[in-house]
Amino acid sequence: MLRQLENCLHAVNQVLLGKEHQVRMAMACLLARGHLLIEDLPGMGKTTLSHALAQVLGLSYQRVQFTSDLLPGDILGTSVFERNTGQFVFHPGPIFTQLLLADEINRATPKSQSALLEAMEERQVTIEGSTRPLPEPFFVIATQNPICQSGTFALPESQLDRFLMRLSLGYPNAEAERALLTRAITKRQAASLTQQIEKDELLKAQTQVSEVKVSDALVSYILRLVEATRTNAQFVYGLSPRGGLALLSAAKAWAFLAGRDYVIPEDVQSVLPQVVAHRLAHSAAGTGATDSTAVQWLLNEVAVF
Amino acid sequence: MAEHKIKPSIPRNSLIWLLIAQVLVILPLLWHVPLWIIGLWLVCAAWRIQVFRMRMQFPKAIVKVAMMVSAAFAVYLSRGSLVGLDAGVALLLTAFVLKLVELRSKRDALVLIYLGFFTVVTSYLFDDSILAAGYSLLSVTALLAALVGLQQTVLTGRPGKTVTQAAAILLQAIPVALLLFLFFPRLDPLWVLPAPKDKGVTGISDHMSPGDIAELSQSSELVFRASFTGEIPTQNQLYWRALTLPYFDGRTWHMQNMTSDLLAPEWQAQGDMLEYSVIMQPSSRTWLYSLAVSQTEQKDIRLMNDFRLQHNTPIHRTYLYQARAWPEALAEPKLSPEKYRFYLQLPHKVNPQARAWAQQLRQSYPDDESLVRAVLRTFNQGEYFYTLKPPRLGKHSVDEFLFATQTGFCEHYSSSMTFVLRAAGIPARVVTGYQGGEVNRAENYVQVRQYDAHSWVEYWRLGFGWHRVDPTFQVAPERIEQGLQEALRGESLNTGLLSPLSYRHINWINQLRISWDTLNYTWQKNVLGYQAERQKNWLKGLLGEISWQRIGVGLVITIALLFALISLWLFKPWQTRLSETQRLLKQFERLLAKRQYKREPAEGLRAFQARIQADLSPPQRMALDAFVHSYEQNEYANVPVPAVQLKQQLQTLRHSLAGR
Repeated sequence: MLRQLENCLHAVNQVLLGKEHQVRMAMACLLARGHLLIEDLPGMGKTTLSHALAQVLGLSYQRVQFTSDLLPGDILGTSVFERNTGQFVFHPGPIFTQLLLADEINRATPKSQSALLEAMEERQVTIEGSTRPLPEPFFVIATQNPICQSGTFALPESQLDRFLMRLSLGYPNAEAERALLTRAITKRQAASLTQQIEKDELLKAQTQVSEVKVSDALVSYILRLVEATRTNAQFVYGLSPRGGLALLSAAKAWAFLAGRDYVIPEDVQSVLPQVVAHRLAHSAAGTGATDSTAVQWLLNEVAVF
Repeated sequence: MAEHKIKPSIPRNSLIWLLIAQVLVILPLLWHVPLWIIGLWLVCAAWRIQVFRMRMQFPKAIVKVAMMVSAAFAVYLSRGSLVGLDAGVALLLTAFVLKLVELRSKRDALVLIYLGFFTVVTSYLFDDSILAAGYSLLSVTALLAALVGLQQTVLTGRPGKTVTQAAAILLQAIPVALLLFLFFPRLDPLWVLPAPKDKGVTGISDHMSPGDIAELSQSSELVFRASFTGEIPTQNQLYWRALTLPYFDGRTWHMQNMTSDLLAPEWQAQGDMLEYSVIMQPSSRTWLYSLAVSQTEQKDIRLMNDFRLQHNTPIHRTYLYQARAWPEALAEPKLSPEKYRFYLQLPHKVNPQARAWAQQLRQSYPDDESLVRAVLRTFNQGEYFYTLKPPRLGKHSVDEFLFATQTGFCEHYSSSMTFVLRAAGIPARVVTGYQGGEVNRAENYVQVRQYDAHSWVEYWRLGFGWHRVDPTFQVAPERIEQGLQEALRGESLNTGLLSPLSYRHINWINQLRISWDTLNYTWQKNVLGYQAERQKNWLKGLLGEISWQRIGVGLVITIALLFALISLWLFKPWQTRLSETQRLLKQFERLLAKRQYKREPAEGLRAFQARIQADLSPPQRMALDAFVHSYEQNEYANVPVPAVQLKQQLQTLRHSLAGR
């Protein structure tokens, strides 16, 4: 099963060049049953990544472009009156899919944003009194553009917390960029990727991730990390209990991807920036640098044993 | 002009606490120093704050000199001197305040803080009660906070945190302070401290005219507390004698010093013996309070010829003495002719009516004792009243009192009775002191206040010596049996609205007052009373025969033990007991640290392994990997690895590293 997952990663890496770490992180996020927020400039391969993941995992894929006039019904679906039967028939929205790409989530109004975020949390949708479960697995990749903020509705901290990880793809390195230019990989190529893993296998992997062993010593380390965010002066407020849980489940997935059935501190350290950074307050508002330095401080200062 | 070196300025935190500490230190001394010091402080504090806010400059040298001289002059003007306790403290305080305006560097602040500590100590010269001691803890905390703030950076801006730290330091110092209190040798002072001026204003004085004691009874100030080894005698036995006043000038009774005063009086112990100890408040007088006839073994106290106890220096601070008394002793059965005449002294041409009455009595009662009884009977059966506010008396005060006004306080009765007895040819004298007192059952002691002041009569009979009679008892027996409050139900004692004594009838206030007094008594007895003698006895019980070497050794050992306990408590060695694997990990880290591979605290073992692997040879890598793997299994995979195996792998690693 691990081999199949590795195959998936390999296949994705064929279309998204030089982003092995980020791809693996996205996979870990999926395996930990979390959702992913990608924050990056346009054209960095956000769509490619999500599309490719859907392809190799054999997941149904929908994409919603968030705009300011997007309504909750546009995401969740609406009931339409059918003249033939004389009844209202529910037309499911794009959310009824296994992998949803919510592009530029911060362009939509808070109303629409929260419709999506609630569905993410509950893994079901309630429309007009009837509750409809979402398919399994259900994985949301939301993207947002960190610059060009005019006319956007930034996600509040409480909403950011719903995302297990926040990822930034970043520019590819020179070698990858050269390959990208010479081989001219297109979106079509991404669409031609083949499924590498069965759905059942994927669900089983998700179950196994939750069963990865966590020792007392490791829990102590996580507690120390959480405690440090709450007591150290450079954090405006500390990590919530949900944040601590998120850190643990992400670390489990990371350990699983590394082929281990137990978590070691290095797993925690690997996922820490992606899991923790967006949950901690910027101690100096507006400067994106502060949260990454604060996370770096956690990595450097909190004792492992 | 010389260039100024830039000195570290005083942090805001420290300055705030310094100003607060100054207020706290000065406050209890305000009753003893001229009040313009408040103004001086306000000016200096404002100036220093403006300097801190960079709105003003530090004063120039000439201004400083002018301020200093004028402050000293002001002290001289208001105290009339620059030496003596009051003026000295005032001078110290002005210096303490003036130092504010030249508070430039850390060093200045240190001087100011140490000066503050010294000033706190001087306030003990005026008041050493438990309240004052508790209060001084407050000032010391503030001073410590200033000291702590001085060591902090300018960036630390939380005065609350600073004072918590100071309080913690003070708390930690308490055990050491207790030890020093118990063991530190009580040395005799190298010089005699001058007494504060405004002490001993109230109290029994060396003369008595009508109205004096009534005036004294307006005060509820504490005079002394006495505790008895056995049962406390009944109220009507508690005649605390202070002075005898043998000389009468027609209006006032005076104490008269005679050479014979210093001769030990002749007396024989008879009857039961009472053992008691007295803790007296400072009175600035030499006389002590005793039950007749008392004897003490303290060397600085002597029994005077008129059976009072006298200390060789005025009592300026709380003083404790022990004595034994024989209430039924035979006191001076024989009187020298000179003294006999002395105790019959009366001024000429005053109180003719009283003299005539005395002659009349003499004729009816040739026997001394029946004459005395007749006088007492007159007071008892005649229309005499006991009051705090007697009418004013003219020139023939005894006549006016005995035959006209017939209302008076104890001094009227004792004075007129003594006059009549002398006129009838019986040697007599007025005794002043205190009568009764409030009994505190909880701690078994009597507390005597100024309003317990009293005067009574002693007359002399050949072969029987001096006898005490109390004419007031005939008029107002409840005064003797229950105290002044009961005797003067109609007239309120002017104790003031705020005094708890005004609320005796409210039970809980009274209880509270008594508990508070008990606390004060315990404080005085056990803390202030713990002087050289008692320390010696206590140490003797503890260490056997004492020598200063032994005490020194004991002190060192106890302090060392104390520090050992504190360090145990701080480091908690029993909590950091490591598991076997953790100990092995420490060994592993030490082993690699020797090769300059040091693991960072936040570095996981795998990351560490990856970091140093490149430098190692294949066998070393294998040994390293084996250990790391086993450790990881044990710590994180919940797969117990026997310690022996880890130990072995560590050994292998050690060998492979050594073989490099």
